[in-house]
Formats: sequence, C-alpha cells, structure tokens
Amino acid sequence: MTEPIIDFRDVTKRFGDHVVYEHMSLQVFPGETITIIGGSGGGKSVCLKMMIGLLLPDAGQVRFHGTSVPDLDERGLSEVRRKVAYVFQGGALFDSMTVLENIGYALREHTTMDDEAIRARALECLEMVGLHTSVAEQLPASLSGGMKKRVALARSIAIQPEVILYDEPTTGLDPKNIKRIGDMILKLQRELGVTSVVVTHDMPMAHKVSDRIAMLYQRAFPFVGTAEAMWNSTAPEIRDFIHGRIRRAGASGAYTGEDDGLRDEEEGSDGIA
Amino acid sequence: MKSFERFGSLVLGGLEWIGGVARLVMRVARVGPRRPWGVDDIFHQVVELGVRSLPIAMLITLFIGMILTWQFGWGVEDFGATMALGRVVSVGLVPELVPTMLAITVGVKMAAGMTAELGSMKVTEQIDAVAALGADPYKKLVWPRICASTIALPLLIALGNLIAMFGGMLIAELKFGVPAGYFYETYIDELEPLNYIASPVKGVTFGALVGIIGCYQGFNTKFGTEAVGASTTDTVAATAIVIIIADFYLNNLFF
Repeated sequence: MTEPIIDFRDVTKRFGDHVVYEHMSLQVFPGETITIIGGSGGGKSVCLKMMIGLLLPDAGQVRFHGTSVPDLDERGLSEVRRKVAYVFQGGALFDSMTVLENIGYALREHTTMDDEAIRARALECLEMVGLHTSVAEQLPASLSGGMKKRVALARSIAIQPEVILYDEPTTGLDPKNIKRIGDMILKLQRELGVTSVVVTHDMPMAHKVSDRIAMLYQRAFPFVGTAEAMWNSTAPEIRDFIHGRIRRAGASGAYTGEDDGLRDEEEGSDGIA
Repeated sequence: MKSFERFGSLVLGGLEWIGGVARLVMRVARVGPRRPWGVDDIFHQVVELGVRSLPIAMLITLFIGMILTWQFGWGVEDFGATMALGRVVSVGLVPELVPTMLAITVGVKMAAGMTAELGSMKVTEQIDAVAALGADPYKKLVWPRICASTIALPLLIALGNLIAMFGGMLIAELKFGVPAGYFYETYIDELEPLNYIASPVKGVTFGALVGIIGCYQGFNTKFGTEAVGASTTDTVAATAIVIIIADFYLNNLFF
C-alpha cells in the first residue's frame, strides 16, 4: 500500500478554549488532489498550516514522508517548506517586491542560482500560470485579485514542490478566473505530477479538481472519499453542505457530537459570503 | 474588588509583554548574527529609517538648540552671565536633550513605521508567507530592522548634536550678543569625555529599543486593519515610555 505523503494522526488543536480539531486523522497520498471542504471558520486553513509547521498541534502527530513535522528543527522545517508550497488565500505577495522578485523569492532562499537564472525561471513560471511577462516588473498593488492569485501560484511552483497547498484559491474571483485557477490546478497535477491539497467552499471547483474530498465536520473529517461518493451520499450534513442549506447544530442524527461547528448564518456552497 | 482585578490584569499584561519582547530578542540573537548577514537588507532599512528621517531630525535639533539657548540666556541674562551660555547649553544638549528628544520623536516614528509595516504584513499573511517559503521571518524582517535602527539613531544623534550647537550659536550671537567663536569654544570646553560617551551609548540603546518594540508590536498584531492601527498606537506609547525609563537608568549609570 502506498505510504501517505502527509499523515495526520489523532490530531487535536486548540486556540485558547476553542477546540478546532479533536482526534482528527487524514492522509494525503502522493500525486492525488484532495480537497478539504467545510464551513467558514471551521479550521480548514489551520489544517494546511499544520502541514508545514506554521501551526503546531496540541496533541497527535503530523508527518511528512514519515517525519514528524512538529519535531523538526529550523533546518528541517525549511527543507519541508522547500518541498511543500503554500498558496495563501489573499496571495500574500510581498508588497515591496515586484512580481518577478516575488516569484524568485524561494529560489533565492533555497538555491545557488544566479540572478539571471532566477529571472528566467520566474518568467517561465509567470507564463505557466498564463500571465503576460509585461506584469513582471509591476508591484502586487497594481494587480487584480485574479492576477495576484496566479502570481502566488507562480511563486509556489517556482521551486518545483512535491506538494502544493491551496488556501481558498477561488474566493473572491469571477467565474472566468475560477475556471482558470481550476484548470491550472489540474494542469499542474498533470504536467508536474504534484500532490495538491485544496481548501475551498466552492463545490463545483471541488468536484472538478479532486480525486478525493474530505469534509470537515465536528472538528474532524468524518467523510473522506471521491467526489462521486460525496455527491451520492445520503448523510444529511453532506447533502446540506452540497446544496447550501442552513441547519441547526445537532439537528441531524447522521453525525453525533456536542457541537457541529457549522453556524446557522454560514454561507452556502457557492462561496458567496 | 473590580479595580483590584483590573490592576492585576494590567500587571499580568505588562509581564506578558516583557516576556514576549524578551523571547523576540532571544530569537533574533540566535538567528540574526549568522551568515548570510543580510547586509543588503540592513542597508536598505538604514536608508528607509535613517536617511528619510534626516530632514525631521535636523529641524527638531536645530530648534532644540535654539530654544534651550534662548531659555538659558533669558535666565542667566539677569546675572550678567550670558558669556557662560555655551557651557550651560552644551551639558544640557549633548548627553541628554538631543539623544532623548530625537529618540522620542524620530525613534518613535521609526518604531511606529515598523509596527505598521509588519502589522500589515501579519494581517495579509505575508509573514506566514516568508516562513512558508522557507525563510526565517525573524532573520528576514526583524534582524535588519533592529540593526538599522541601532545604527541609524546614533548617527542621527551625532548629526543632531552638531545642528543643535549651530542653533544655539545662532541665538547666542543674534539674541544675546555672545560671539559665535566664543560660544563654540566654551561649548566644547565644557564637555567631558563622559558626555561624548553618553550621547552615542544612549543612541545605540534607544535605537535598539525602537527596533525591538516596533518589530514586536508588528509581529503581535491581531487580525484586521483596525488591529494594525491599535498596534501602532500602542507602539508610540510603549516606545516613548521605555525610552524615558531607559534614559533615567542610563543617566544613573553615567552621572
């Protein structure tokens, strides 16, 4: 059986009194695209951040290629982060740097490439994400939301990672850009063979790009399976999430728990807040 | 009981803040002085913090020199001691007023700028992005800023001392009829080696405190743009208070 590339075992994570994860387990296998779905504020991004040690679990294990991420020293963490790229929700591009400098940042940190080689690689990545090289010298402030996300994507693939973590890659984008980002995730998986973990609310997007979908509910992932299995599921919580129906905490018998973590005022599956 | 609880939580908050600052200092002391030294980043920050503060530093110190000389001149005029103006003004300006006033004005401006910039980076996840791209945010963002403020502030103070002396000279000559040459001679003559040491030592100490507080507040900004504003305001108050307290202890040490 294939060893998981990222492995959460019995993880608990709290922020003060607020428990985000409790006895949560999840495996990500090499080459697959797994999408994490769930209500806003449920802790999906926390899961991504624990994968690269930006946040540490309070209990349980987070492993990357069998190595415990929380136990790594600075050098070890840096090595993991060289292999696992993170595409932040808002892009998190460095305001003071040009697009090209942003894309070349990890190359300057991790490689001995000279300026010319870094520039060439950054331009190549810019073209890979479908942006014209004329934006290369622009500052992030002058870019649109969709362009920022694509530059962030270019920055993450510049160092040729094994895994790309996408944090809400389509939030706030128009349908054209949503399609473009979805196509890009598929293209990167196809052409570069990267493993992808996508956090999203966008159900059509999840259906389009995922090999498997994990649904965050009651501080764990009670459902992990293919998109078809999810669509065909009769579990009320899953049906409600797919169709954007609002439900009260504990109204279903399908999953039990003290608090379902889904809020009444939560937005539906269309990603519109 | 309520006021007792409030006092307790204030003390705990203060201790927590000092603990957080100490942790930041230890972390930077561990990751900062390592190859690569980050000379380019430090130089960039010296330009950002120091060179851009030159006009305001010059203006402030010119007026400090003029005001203090005017004030002392007015006081000693009644005793016919205006010729002693240079001696009186120099010991007030060089070891005390120029370093402290510059730290409280320009230094606080530097710290607030750092907090606003790093706080904005925090709320837009840029600090996480630095870490996610395999760099150490303390090495990349904090170390250059602390180094730069520690270098820039004493240099501004050195220049400020010169400008303040010229300001004093101007008022002594034009308002009280003390010849500029005589003012200069008495000004320099009164200064002891300790005064020459105290001024840069205060500059380095205040510069380091400015960088440390500015960066700590920026890194500990909560969520949202409102938090950046709150954090920056706190930085202004915290930096000014810490500088005044540090000045008191340094004066105890030197004089």
